[in-house]
Amino acid sequence: MSGFRRMAQRWRGAGFATVLLVILIAVNLLLNPTRFHPSAWGALIGLAAPLIGAALASAPVILAGRGGIDISVGPLMGFVNAIVIQLLFLKLGMSSPLVIVPAALLIGAIVGAANGFLATIVRIQPIVATLGTYLILTGMTLTILPAPIGPAPGWLKAMAGPWSAVPLALIFLFWWLVRQTPYYDQLMAVGSDDRAAYTAGVPVTKVRFIAYVMTGILAACAGLMLTALIGSADPNIGPTYTLIAIAAVALGGVSLAGGRGGLAGAAIGAIDIFLLQSVLTAFNVSTYVLQIAYGVILVVAVIMTALQERLSGRKG
Amino acid sequence: MHQTWFQSTNARVAGAFAVAAGLQIVGTLLIPGYSAPFAIRALLVIASLLAVASIGQTLVVILGGIDLSIPFIIGFANVVAAQLYGGGWNFGLVCVIVGVLAMLIGALNGLISRGLDIHPLIVTLGGGMIVQGAVLLWTGGFPSGSAPQAVSAFVSIGGSVGPLPVPALVPCVAVLTLLVALVLARTPYGRRLYALGSNPGAAPLALIDPVRMWMVTYAASAFFAAAAGVLLLGFTGSAYGDVGQPYLFQTIAAVVVGGAALVGGRGNYFGTIAGVLVLTEINTLLIGLGFRPSTVQAALGLVIVLLVSLYGRERHVSATI
Amino acid sequence: MADRATLSVRGLMVAPGASPVTQTIAPGEIVGLAGLDGHGQERFLKVLAGLEQPAGGGVTIDAPTGARAVTSFRKAVASGIAYLPRDRRATGIFPTQSVLDNFAVSTLSRDRRFGLLSFAARRRRYKAYREKLSIVAPRPDASITTLSGGNQQKVLLARALALEPAVLLLNDPTRGVDVATRHVLYDVFRELAADGMALVILSSEIEEILLLCHRVLVFREQQVAAEITGEDMKSDTVIAAMFGRAA
Repeated sequence: MSGFRRMAQRWRGAGFATVLLVILIAVNLLLNPTRFHPSAWGALIGLAAPLIGAALASAPVILAGRGGIDISVGPLMGFVNAIVIQLLFLKLGMSSPLVIVPAALLIGAIVGAANGFLATIVRIQPIVATLGTYLILTGMTLTILPAPIGPAPGWLKAMAGPWSAVPLALIFLFWWLVRQTPYYDQLMAVGSDDRAAYTAGVPVTKVRFIAYVMTGILAACAGLMLTALIGSADPNIGPTYTLIAIAAVALGGVSLAGGRGGLAGAAIGAIDIFLLQSVLTAFNVSTYVLQIAYGVILVVAVIMTALQERLSGRKG
Repeated sequence: MHQTWFQSTNARVAGAFAVAAGLQIVGTLLIPGYSAPFAIRALLVIASLLAVASIGQTLVVILGGIDLSIPFIIGFANVVAAQLYGGGWNFGLVCVIVGVLAMLIGALNGLISRGLDIHPLIVTLGGGMIVQGAVLLWTGGFPSGSAPQAVSAFVSIGGSVGPLPVPALVPCVAVLTLLVALVLARTPYGRRLYALGSNPGAAPLALIDPVRMWMVTYAASAFFAAAAGVLLLGFTGSAYGDVGQPYLFQTIAAVVVGGAALVGGRGNYFGTIAGVLVLTEINTLLIGLGFRPSTVQAALGLVIVLLVSLYGRERHVSATI
Repeated sequence: MADRATLSVRGLMVAPGASPVTQTIAPGEIVGLAGLDGHGQERFLKVLAGLEQPAGGGVTIDAPTGARAVTSFRKAVASGIAYLPRDRRATGIFPTQSVLDNFAVSTLSRDRRFGLLSFAARRRRYKAYREKLSIVAPRPDASITTLSGGNQQKVLLARALALEPAVLLLNDPTRGVDVATRHVLYDVFRELAADGMALVILSSEIEEILLLCHRVLVFREQQVAAEITGEDMKSDTVIAAMFGRAA
């Protein structure tokens, strides 16, 4: 019973996103039964995976509070995509997952550590620090890879579709493990009130730094998922994920002020946005109407989340 | 807590101007013709356009917010002005319509962000996407029309005004800079803007209405974005919905390099002008040295990080207790 | 100094079900509010300022020009009430702004000459209060955070006084202020009352209330448990009322 209540507590922030999720799944099933037939679910997961990954990656730094945000997540995905295909696979001829996966995660960790260094030790405002990284990574990606190129190694391409559930599951397993450690409590404490946390002896700088490294590593995962999905390298796709991932995180009930929400909410927010896109596509309207509806629903959904939080906050 | 002169806002602004001047000297030494009249004119015109687009971002950042709708409003104004003028409307009326619509969109951004306490990042992004979609829908993705000759002459790099060898845009932006600085320093609105950005919790007790301030400021931001959109129409000659996209991060970068803090209550428009000059100099210099645009972009990122780590550092959490 | 005015509290319920408070606070009076934390005295003060809505009853301000109901903070200020908040850092100072900016922020329009703010006029106005409150600020255009806590508090008091109020509401005005500054503030409060201002002071220190106030309202469980005046104003009487015991 108490476990159930804790569960309900945990999901309360993402409440509206969850309701939206159920509605969107129902609408999608009605409008487009073939595309949403259970046999096609694997392909759908593959399509949604990079966005879910980007949203998951964006979450830790936002949870860490005091304006914590990483707008370089999208460009980092693109950078990993370019390095893996152009440098490792095509130039150096390395195709083994045992090389590519660790290399990608290492890049993610390094970029994340660089962001963390700038945002927590040099103490540049996170949005400015990661704007710098955003421009650097976008520029480097375009230098390595001026135009799209292919293909990707076979095993990576095979990771598209149903198999993309595996990295997502691994991320959730990783996050579940993090939740079992004292670090998680420290992260949430720092996110909700860093002064109080500091006074209570929490190493605020270290906690935030680690959050940036986690974001970097998760963004590298998302970059691999993106590579699997497009089966090639494209310098222009990565950056487009940044803002939409942050929108997904906000939609999923993660407070941009920090300390509230979690990765499950972020994932639900991302799935919402993905399903929304597919509903709108199913109506077969012009892409322009699609974009308007998309913007309207995003704003309305965030407003609803805020109102719902306000109401539940008053009750609690 | 004591501040040294080096950390003061004036020092940051002076520093940014010095960097811009230094880059001009480096360019002159390295590239033949870098300080030729035509090159300087081009630099001033490009900087002036960015300066107009950055006015709103400066105000919004002092307030403690951020405006991601600027590029979309620029595109909106660019396309709508061309379309209406091409349809035979009076250009003055077109400007009024575009300006009013932009201010309404901006006011709505401010109302939703402050009134419902939703992060302006999300609100302005969503609002921007709606505006862009609406424009695309209206024009079917292929905007037509152009700017009247007067606007083109106003921004033309080859233009001149009286004895000045620059188009009218440049002196106008100089006057506008003084006006913005005057409004910030010498009007109740300006002082309230800083106060609200500095401590939102204390503002209502000092008779500042936060929602109203946010609506007015975001409306102003959208208005100047729209102005930049119309000027860009004259500059490029034809309408293009994505013309504003480079301005998304450039306006933020200009404000930040100019010494404003994104947490609010700090910064001024002279700083932004310095930031605009630094960004334009770096761009011109690196392209002049033969670097590819992608490299230029990476270098820009590096410069932002370096400059801000010199003078834009926040206090450690222990210093805020 | 603005016109004198009387603050009338009629049947005011601080919380639903609490017994109503009826009080008249006259010009020249210093009224203290005491009570254990959270027993309604702070809410009462905020209702007087129009910052919170009462559960019943109302507040009016009676000036020679007529009576006006206090229903919002803006109306309260417009009818001659000024309020000094409790938490200096959260709801008082604007930390990135100068001493002068912090002083003038509530009364910006008074420095307006031909549409623009005159820095000379602002400096003149500030100077009068600097002397009156003996504010120690070497450079008025330096950031307010360069001042000591006591001097920051004096600047905030100057901000409130610049509104030229008839009624001054003070929420724990000497919290975190050094002893010397406290005595300066006490003298200022007494002078203001002598000039005809009505003052309501909430304080967490009983000694301060006994030293300053003409009478004290002791709150317990969201209502006025005792009103103590004259000879009875001793710390054991006040403490007894705070804890709900007979003295």
